[in-house]
Amino acid sequence: MSTHIEAGGRLAHPDGGDPGGPAGSPRDPRRRGGRAAQSAPSGARSRVRRWIRPARVVLAALVILLAWNLAAPHYPGYVLPAPIDVWTSFTSTWSRGVWIEEVWATLQHLLLAFGIVLVAGLPLGIVIGRSTIAEDLSRVVLVFLQTVPTIVLIALALVVAGASTSSVVGVTVAGSITYFLLNVIQGTRAIDQDLVDMARAYRASEGAIMRTVVLPAVVPYFLAGARITLGVAWQITLFAEYLMGAEGIGFQVSSAIKLLDTKAVFMWGLSVVAMTLVLEYGAFRPAERRLTRHVKKG
Amino acid sequence: MATTSAPMIAFRDVGKTYPKTTAPVMTGVDLEIQRGELVALIGPSGCGKSTLLNLLAGLTDATTGTIDVAGSAGTDELRSAYVFQNPRLLPWRSVLRNVEFGLEQAGVPGAERRRRANEALELVHLHEHGDKYPHQLSGGMQQRAALARGLALEPDLLLLDEPFGALDALTRGYLQEELLSIVRRFGTTTLLVTHDIDEALLLADRIVVMSSRPARIKRVVTVPFGRERALDSVLAHPQFVPLRHEIRELLRPEVAASDPTVEAGAPEVLSS
Repeated sequence: MSTHIEAGGRLAHPDGGDPGGPAGSPRDPRRRGGRAAQSAPSGARSRVRRWIRPARVVLAALVILLAWNLAAPHYPGYVLPAPIDVWTSFTSTWSRGVWIEEVWATLQHLLLAFGIVLVAGLPLGIVIGRSTIAEDLSRVVLVFLQTVPTIVLIALALVVAGASTSSVVGVTVAGSITYFLLNVIQGTRAIDQDLVDMARAYRASEGAIMRTVVLPAVVPYFLAGARITLGVAWQITLFAEYLMGAEGIGFQVSSAIKLLDTKAVFMWGLSVVAMTLVLEYGAFRPAERRLTRHVKKG
Repeated sequence: MATTSAPMIAFRDVGKTYPKTTAPVMTGVDLEIQRGELVALIGPSGCGKSTLLNLLAGLTDATTGTIDVAGSAGTDELRSAYVFQNPRLLPWRSVLRNVEFGLEQAGVPGAERRRRANEALELVHLHEHGDKYPHQLSGGMQQRAALARGLALEPDLLLLDEPFGALDALTRGYLQEELLSIVRRFGTTTLLVTHDIDEALLLADRIVVMSSRPARIKRVVTVPFGRERALDSVLAHPQFVPLRHEIRELLRPEVAASDPTVEAGAPEVLSS
């Protein structure tokens, strides 16, 4: 059993690191740096400069891959499989149709939970942020959700709904919603009261104030909260699948490690890393650019 | 301004005490303002001049007394615009969309809204900057955009809270003239809070001199320069300097009372 948890822990870590990694808000100085580099003086030198930083990142990845490849022969395959074995594990899982099936199951859990968190969390967070009554009434639940161990939520969900999709989704929502709520609440509190007064003075209705002042002001906090929540939700979903034996990547990892199929564990771990990157650059960054066009840039 | 019709705005014994405080910011204010009149409120800083505007804008309620607007209770039927001390533009809207804000809330349809917002931007010489976002403008330009937002509404009541304070002298002079001509053209009733005596004399029909906290009306000075005035002719008017002196003398003890660090002999804040 201890080996299972260790493997689960190891798997959880790379994804767990993600909420910290891309936590960059729209005002992230690193992004400004990137823009500044793009608008630097034209010519060959600037073209070189634009590629030098991505090139360093790729270089580091290649060095790690090389080191892994050199180290692998010195360890048994169930401790450190070679990169090519991990790749073969992927191609065989893919050709059997298992990869898509399991990834789809996990994505369903994850995106369903994420969607529920966003749709329920935005109005809830705004209400809590604007009303001290709502804040006081919700405090007990928020503190509970923030501090209760995920393992307890999983145990409770198993009792209530068994190893089902709704269990995994429920645990993921319960375990990740506070990260989103706290951001939206903070954003709502940070709203410039001068702007609300301006809108009132121009006879804006409460609905119009919500639409024209409150929601746009909350957008950066919404984005930051959504990004952290997605990272946490990945972690909890996989953890829940692993422990409940519900279908999905988490369960695949638990089955693989029972058979000491470490290359499959590596393969699933890297698959999650790849999907996280796709979501980050395919969905988050474009949405962020669209929603924060007005923000002062470098 | 000796009109006999009912006043557009009537403050009757209005007092204001903010919650959780004991000292009132304003007591016993009685003031009638006629339709189309431009009234300047002048007084030491922090004396509650802005509170008067906030009461009219419906941002806060009077603790005592009543405020009648256009002969009725409540201000909702009235189209009013408020230009604040700071621009208060929505950072996520373009300048043009910011200027459209009041029109939007008044239910003016899209095409007309755009046309009127563009006209207002032209008045403040910002028509080439409509597509920019507020952070791309200088502070003075932002304040002009805020003025355009108020003017675009063609309001019945225009509330101005030191709107030209942040502007350079040249722009200020130009906008003061522009404002005067617009307000005259549309017959806009205007309340202008200022601490600049010259500005009050240049623009106002009447100047209400306020005391330090709690704010009371100390004196109402009628400005004798006529309604159609050019700023240069006002400066050359024989009454200009005596009036300026009179108002300064009225304010001198108030400024000293509101700020103990100011020597009663030298109220520098008031000499512009």
